[in-house]
Amino acid sequence: MASITGSFTSLSCSLMPNQAVNRVSKLGSVSLSISGKSFPSLRVQPARFHASCAAKPETVDKVCKIVRKQLALPDESKVAGHSNFASLGADSLDTVEIVMGLEEEFSISVEEESAQNIATVQDAADLIEKLIENKGA
Amino acid sequence: MKLQCLGKQLFNSSANLPRIQLSSPMEAHLWYIIPSEVQSQSLLNQYAEILSPCEKEIVFEMRDEELRKRALLARALVRTTIARYQINSHVSPRSLKFIKNVHGKPEVDWQHCEQWRPLPLHFNISHTSSLIACGVTVDSPIGIDVEKKNRRLKHNVMSFAQRYFSKHEVQVLSAISDPQLQLQEFIKLWTLKEAYVKALGRGFSDAPFKTFTIRIRSATKGSFAGNSNFEASEIVVDSFDDSMDLTSDWKFVLMDLAGSHYAAICTKKDSSIQGIQITPTKLTVWKTIPFVHDECVSGTAAVVIISG
Repeated sequence: MASITGSFTSLSCSLMPNQAVNRVSKLGSVSLSISGKSFPSLRVQPARFHASCAAKPETVDKVCKIVRKQLALPDESKVAGHSNFASLGADSLDTVEIVMGLEEEFSISVEEESAQNIATVQDAADLIEKLIENKGA
Repeated sequence: MKLQCLGKQLFNSSANLPRIQLSSPMEAHLWYIIPSEVQSQSLLNQYAEILSPCEKEIVFEMRDEELRKRALLARALVRTTIARYQINSHVSPRSLKFIKNVHGKPEVDWQHCEQWRPLPLHFNISHTSSLIACGVTVDSPIGIDVEKKNRRLKHNVMSFAQRYFSKHEVQVLSAISDPQLQLQEFIKLWTLKEAYVKALGRGFSDAPFKTFTIRIRSATKGSFAGNSNFEASEIVVDSFDDSMDLTSDWKFVLMDLAGSHYAAICTKKDSSIQGIQITPTKLTVWKTIPFVHDECVSGTAAVVIISG
């Protein structure tokens, strides 16, 4: 699904099927905001939801488990915090199902807008903890 | 490498991309590839050759072989498809550059073309594990989505629909008693909604699925599912926030593709045509293995228009 990007001029971009991934190629001084979904080193959190600290490892593990189940991944396949759903073979329908699975597991409710902004396991875990925190507050 | 026009069907010739014409905004072309039909490693290497360094890096960092192949084929399909429509021989699949619009939707970047006015081509891709498709139009935004017909959901269809679809769509689905049929109609609706949002190109969060309804209206009175007489049927979208979208601007085609998938195409209506009369999109579909074989499958069993 589409990602949120800021303003930019020319980039040579790569495209994940049904997902958008931005990469930077230096074109003079251009100010870019990137949502580097498959590159942890270039990641900037979209302005829409800010996670001030990363989620607990247990949360990340639970998310990995749900993702594995939804995508029917073999046990040996590597799924971790930085794993991008699209890179694991998830299409938009899978992503939505993963979110539904997370809602059930954690007893939370994810808004549709937030659901479609989740691109990695870490995104999901961070959002879950934020929602749990808001629920408790 | 200069592209030849109307090349011979030579294997391993990257000059082999027969030229195609696309002149009217009323037309849409769909090209699809079946990944399992591409087994030759040398062909896959040829495809890798036309990718940008950026794309190559992303494709080859994928660990799973099937996913890597799929990502490679998707990029090769987009590049070769767009190149087919270029009259100017300076444009090759490899030379194309892509850009994202302000909302993140991928488009061709024509800025680097100095001497000629390129065709205002729009494209959109979609893929499943067993089929990758690329739709192109001229002068109209396009969104496409493909899904396997026999796709299984992990969740119950109705709880999924209640969570994400509009009230009307939920009503329509819940009226279908046969679970298999209900799932099929769900998948059709999903592809139509996806295609619409992708055509809008504004990002999913600007048009959450719950905020618009897609209806398939048949000209003859009858129930939505199980009515096989769809000759004059029409797919329409209503938005609850119509101020943004002018939903009457969009038209759809829904089809059964290759016997295995549902495919939905959403394009914008030609604004120069006034009146209520809806001119259907002229759709042409090709099955392709780029550089090897193209087959026009419109009018064959591989393309069965369901509606639109």
